[in-house]
Amino acid sequence: MKTETKVLGIILIITLVLLFGGIFLLSKQGLSGTNEETVYQIDYSKGQKIGSDSAKVKLVEFSDLECPACAAAEPFVKKVKSDYPNKVQLIYRHFPLPQHTHSRQVAIFAEAAAKQGKFWEMHDKLFETQSQWTILPEKEAAAFFLNLAKELSLDQDKLNQDLEDPVVKSRVDEDEAESRRLGVNATPTFFLNGRKLNLQSFSELNTVVANELKK
Amino acid sequence: MITQTLSNRLVFILSLLGLLVSGFLLYEYSINGPVYCPVGGGCDIVRSSPYSQFLGISIPILGVAFYVGMAILSVIHTHQLPTKLIRKLQLLGATSGVGFGVYLTYLEAFVIGAFCFWCILSFIISLALLLSIILAFKCTNEDGN
Repeated sequence: MKTETKVLGIILIITLVLLFGGIFLLSKQGLSGTNEETVYQIDYSKGQKIGSDSAKVKLVEFSDLECPACAAAEPFVKKVKSDYPNKVQLIYRHFPLPQHTHSRQVAIFAEAAAKQGKFWEMHDKLFETQSQWTILPEKEAAAFFLNLAKELSLDQDKLNQDLEDPVVKSRVDEDEAESRRLGVNATPTFFLNGRKLNLQSFSELNTVVANELKK
Repeated sequence: MITQTLSNRLVFILSLLGLLVSGFLLYEYSINGPVYCPVGGGCDIVRSSPYSQFLGISIPILGVAFYVGMAILSVIHTHQLPTKLIRKLQLLGATSGVGFGVYLTYLEAFVIGAFCFWCILSFIISLALLLSIILAFKCTNEDGN
């Protein structure tokens, strides 16, 4: 056998061992603490809700309005909402990631909209326009959000007042504290009746909800 | 034109690079949470689309299989075996890889409406791989190997 064949062969084998070993170990590490049998105690009185409090299934989403993955998950969350309107309660909780510039600002903004009963409308608008505002500097982003508020016919004076309200801000803080307590480290993270979901793809969301309903 | 030896070494190095990119994507697809996307934010949109699988197989798995296959062919090529056949297999493999990459990039641009940085990087690597094989192909024929 030629020396080059040996060298290249060895390099290839080492690369494959390191690559697959690394993937295996890192995946295992990523899964640690996400035992699907663990039922976490979640405070269901908090968060923005859709669906009845007596619904058999409670789906809690820890999300960041500036996170592209959360925007990508939205159609699948919406499908769950539309497929099981009476059987599933969806609870949205904020987990603004520090690496996103407007995450916190936008979470407070959505909570201020909630004071006028338009959290979900604002939530939808923010996800739909995410790619437009995520690149804007802070002041321009604030103007963009106010424009969204106008589109939703929100009372501007009340909105400005609520944006400064410590109670509104504390809702985001409470969600953040709860997410830390539950060990959430990425968005979106879903809890289905208290069990942390480890989805391979967001398209699995509907299936796991359907399976939970069958129980 | 480049020599067969240089071409084969390039194919090997590019295959390892492609393997790292596909391996990284395979890892990202296997865990919960967002995909690390250094440019743009399309990786998650692409991952959550129905086109992240082909015939039920995750695209990064196909990528890993492709680059492992290309790397194995280049290792075999260094050995005293019917080189012409190996070169043809390499050309066939790289052409198929690039063809599939064109299809995936088309889907990203016109169907999904978002680009995944790692997918584009893998596509570029496969293009470079094909180019390095084509550039040495005439040389192969002249050598009569």
